[in-house]
Amino acid sequence: MSGSLLSFAGVTGGYGATTVVRGVGGAVAAGEACCVLGRNGVGKTTLMRLLTGHLPLQSGTVDFAGRSLDGLAPDRRHRLGLVYCPQERPVFDNLSVRDNLGLMEPFDAHRHAPLLAAFPILEARMDQSAGTLSGGERKILSFVRGVAETGQLLLLDEPSEGVQQENVERMAGFLHEAKAAGRALLVVEQNLAFAREIADRVMVMDHGAVVLAGAAADITEDTLAAHMHV
Amino acid sequence: MASFLAHSAALVAALAVLPHLVGEFWAYTLALYFLYAIAALGVGLCWGQAGLLPLGQAMFFGLAAYLSGLSLIHFRDSWLLLLLLPGAALAPGLLAWGIGLLVFRGRTLTGPFFAMITLALTLLAFQIANSWNDVTGGFNGLKNIPGLPGLGDFIDLYYVSAAALAACVLGIAWLRRAPAGILWRAVAQNEQRVRFCGFAVQNAKAAVFGISGALAGIGGALYAPQQSLVTPQLCGFILSADLVIWAAVGGRSTLYGPVAGAVLIGILTADLRDEISYWEVILAAIFIVVVLYFRQGLMGFVEPWFERLWRRPAGRGRDGPDRPVAPSEAGFALDDIRVRMGSVSILEGLDLAVDRPGIYCLIGPNGAGKTSCFNAMTGEMPVRGGQIRIFGRDRAGATADSLSRIGVGRKFQAPSLFPEFTVAENFNIGLWGGRARLPDLLRMRSHSWSSAILREAQTRFPFLADEDRRAGDLSHGQRQILELVMVLIAEPRLILLDEPSAGLSQAETREVIEAIRWVGGRLDACTVIVEHDMTFVRELADRVFVLHQGRLLASGTVAEIQADERVRAVYVGASA
Amino acid sequence: MDPILTTNVLNVVYEVSTLAVVVLGLAVVFGLLGVMNLAHGEFVMIGAYCAFFVQAHDLPFLAAVPLALLVCGFLGLVVERVLVRPLYARPFDTLLATWGLGMLLREAVEAVYGRGFRSVATPLTGSVEVLGADYPAYRLLLTLVSVALVAGLVWWFVRSATGRRIRAVVNNPELAASVGIPVTALARNTFVFGCGLAALSGVMLAPLLPVNPTLGLDFILKSFFVLVVGGLGSLVGLISGSGVIGGVESVVSAVSDRTWGYTTVLVIAILFLWLRPNGLFPRT
Repeated sequence: MSGSLLSFAGVTGGYGATTVVRGVGGAVAAGEACCVLGRNGVGKTTLMRLLTGHLPLQSGTVDFAGRSLDGLAPDRRHRLGLVYCPQERPVFDNLSVRDNLGLMEPFDAHRHAPLLAAFPILEARMDQSAGTLSGGERKILSFVRGVAETGQLLLLDEPSEGVQQENVERMAGFLHEAKAAGRALLVVEQNLAFAREIADRVMVMDHGAVVLAGAAADITEDTLAAHMHV
Repeated sequence: MASFLAHSAALVAALAVLPHLVGEFWAYTLALYFLYAIAALGVGLCWGQAGLLPLGQAMFFGLAAYLSGLSLIHFRDSWLLLLLLPGAALAPGLLAWGIGLLVFRGRTLTGPFFAMITLALTLLAFQIANSWNDVTGGFNGLKNIPGLPGLGDFIDLYYVSAAALAACVLGIAWLRRAPAGILWRAVAQNEQRVRFCGFAVQNAKAAVFGISGALAGIGGALYAPQQSLVTPQLCGFILSADLVIWAAVGGRSTLYGPVAGAVLIGILTADLRDEISYWEVILAAIFIVVVLYFRQGLMGFVEPWFERLWRRPAGRGRDGPDRPVAPSEAGFALDDIRVRMGSVSILEGLDLAVDRPGIYCLIGPNGAGKTSCFNAMTGEMPVRGGQIRIFGRDRAGATADSLSRIGVGRKFQAPSLFPEFTVAENFNIGLWGGRARLPDLLRMRSHSWSSAILREAQTRFPFLADEDRRAGDLSHGQRQILELVMVLIAEPRLILLDEPSAGLSQAETREVIEAIRWVGGRLDACTVIVEHDMTFVRELADRVFVLHQGRLLASGTVAEIQADERVRAVYVGASA
Repeated sequence: MDPILTTNVLNVVYEVSTLAVVVLGLAVVFGLLGVMNLAHGEFVMIGAYCAFFVQAHDLPFLAAVPLALLVCGFLGLVVERVLVRPLYARPFDTLLATWGLGMLLREAVEAVYGRGFRSVATPLTGSVEVLGADYPAYRLLLTLVSVALVAGLVWWFVRSATGRRIRAVVNNPELAASVGIPVTALARNTFVFGCGLAALSGVMLAPLLPVNPTLGLDFILKSFFVLVVGGLGSLVGLISGSGVIGGVESVVSAVSDRTWGYTTVLVIAILFLWLRPNGLFPRT
């Protein structure tokens, strides 16, 4: 797809000899959000790990801003502009909240100010270790870290998991701002309402493959629910 | 059997002819290195088969040498020697076995810790030998130990060493082929699966360490009369290290590797140490290269070729013995189960009961405690409160292997089997579990046990009939099915399956669904399945349990669950 | 205070603090890379031989410090690339390979300098009066330097950006790579740093030890025991581990003799390995 910031095709991979993701393709353009949906265990997180370089591709291609990411380590991909907020263990438990936010560049109150103002729960705990935060608070911290970074592509793996509704709404607000600023979003979600709120396009996965893809507006809630849950 | 006899004859003939070829001096040198080779065989067995690196084998070698030296000094011409010398060889074996039982009891001690314990023990043994002057002669050791009565020249000594070596090599060759050897290699590959097949892994490990200690003991007991001098160095770190290097360079997982390593390197070292000043450096470099690139060592290049000569003919014969009588009462009951990990509460008063055969599905969002529920039931996670009853009896604190023996089978989410083994060997471990008694584990006949369930499974899944394939070469879906069948041929009455369709394609999922349905009926068992795929649940479940935040949220038929508002709320997102 | 008691207390402090410096290098490498470098003791040994080399060539003692850092830093660089990095996924083989490396270094030094004990002259002779007891000045200096070194490194580890990144990698390597920490380079630098620290302690201890090729063996075992007793989790663990192992050895040695001191340490180590393999302060 032309104009895409990230495009991938035939992505296949998994753990060791086990293939979890089978031939998945897709693309995200600047200023656009793509949501990856699907029930647990269908390979969404594995797809994210394949795209960010934490797992090797068995086959397929991943291109970012016109260049192939083949063989690049995760830290190199980060430098090119891939910002990844993983689903599990999203923060450094042994560092303070402030150090989590200022690990690579010195903590900048100004850069983080709007985010911290929106999530006062973090601001109150700047000097506590992140290990003392609840699961939802960790996800917020991870979200703030990712959004505050400058990379052009945000890959968020279930950012709303365990997060209270009002904070999920604030997250959606920041993601809209990020899109407006020309950033691209690839978001794995299970929260349908949140996904519908932010997504321009949707990919539904099952058994490691994409079973449904298209513009978010064209896909009804019932169709989605039928692919995912009860 | 025939190939074993041929192997024995060839070995004995070679050892008998050797001194005539190399002459008396070399025969004498060889006699010494044969003794080291016997100890190195023990390292190979322990490390190369069971994956336990013993860094302190010299402690057993030295102990036996002291015991045999003291016996020879104090009971020189007494008939008691007939008891004392074998005793000197066996005592280190018993000591090693005892250490193994203590060290491996009740926990899965990781390899490096075991290695370090043995290292520290050998250092301790050296300290004792070095400072217990009254008994060991301290730093100078035991001197002027008389030789074995009735033996005269160097050639006699050679034949004693050679006979001991031949006996040990053949004994180990047998063990490696026997089910016991398969089990040791299985422990090295996947200890958890071995436990869940009903084997007390700690006993298997203690046994292999005991045997390796006895082998070092045989070498040490013969060393004293042969060299007539025993010093503390014999218990020390250097000899321990040498034994490991010999086994590694020769090939730790091959039969003849440790022998080749001990004899070749030992003799080269004795010969070259003075001529090439950097010999030891070269040796260390060779060791590093072997560790990095040639884990099979020297014999790794040769032995596979010989292995083919005495391959066990494939095929299955009679059925193995029946499982012990099945429990009369089916099902299980969890009452107010509480599990914590660190500060996180995982199960908070889970109640769950199943009292008649059928297929039950356990669903719930991430972190609901589904897998933890299985872990608590099978003793993999400490339970802090509540009661677990399985087959009508309280099973709190029961271990995975004991539960497996009474008829609890568990399949893990990622296929947990023995990837280095053939399909046949994987089946065998499943078949032996709960059926094989100790003598069966030493008999070759046990390799060809069969069972009705196995035959049915092979008809149903034809790929399982090709038993010579390596399990690791199967596809993910095939491995899921292989593990499932391994669990089933143990004929459990309670079957716990953790996401059996995870990572499977649609077609493979269909096969798994059929397999589960077939077996549930065939064994009249309670099958409990953790699953996310609602298609799967809809097809199979007689009843569904929904877990949420470590508790039971709802239970009922699929239709009831689908209609339940609380369940919908949990699934569509706590926040939506 | 009773002078004899003072001397003994100072001995314990000396033993514990110098041991802590040796262990620190090992612990940082293990914490970050999950690599137990069994050749760590040989780097200490090479450091000590650097001091001997400097003395044999009539250079000032302090010249041994840059020499040892250079030699061991370079060795560390090569070892990391050739031995450690290819074996990240095989921790058990790393143990064996570094053990082989230790042997190689031991034998190489032996081939050059022989097996005999070498002595390095104390750069600081005389003694200082501390609370009524005469205590050798160099030992006292060494104790102070060791305490300062450990404290300084700890301070750096907690406060510097690099220290934070190392802690981040230890806690969550995957996330660390995701946020852009160059994990491979950091691992290499840390390994080299650990080797350098070992070399430095070798130089410092050389005047007080019979310098010989097997000197490292004692250190690696003791260091390993410190990690076992203290646990691999934290600094508190490291210091308490050094305290238990170094303290027990020097106290028992003072009361009885060195053999008993060593034997007691072995017994404690075995008990910990067996009954409490995660140590006093396990990693969470």
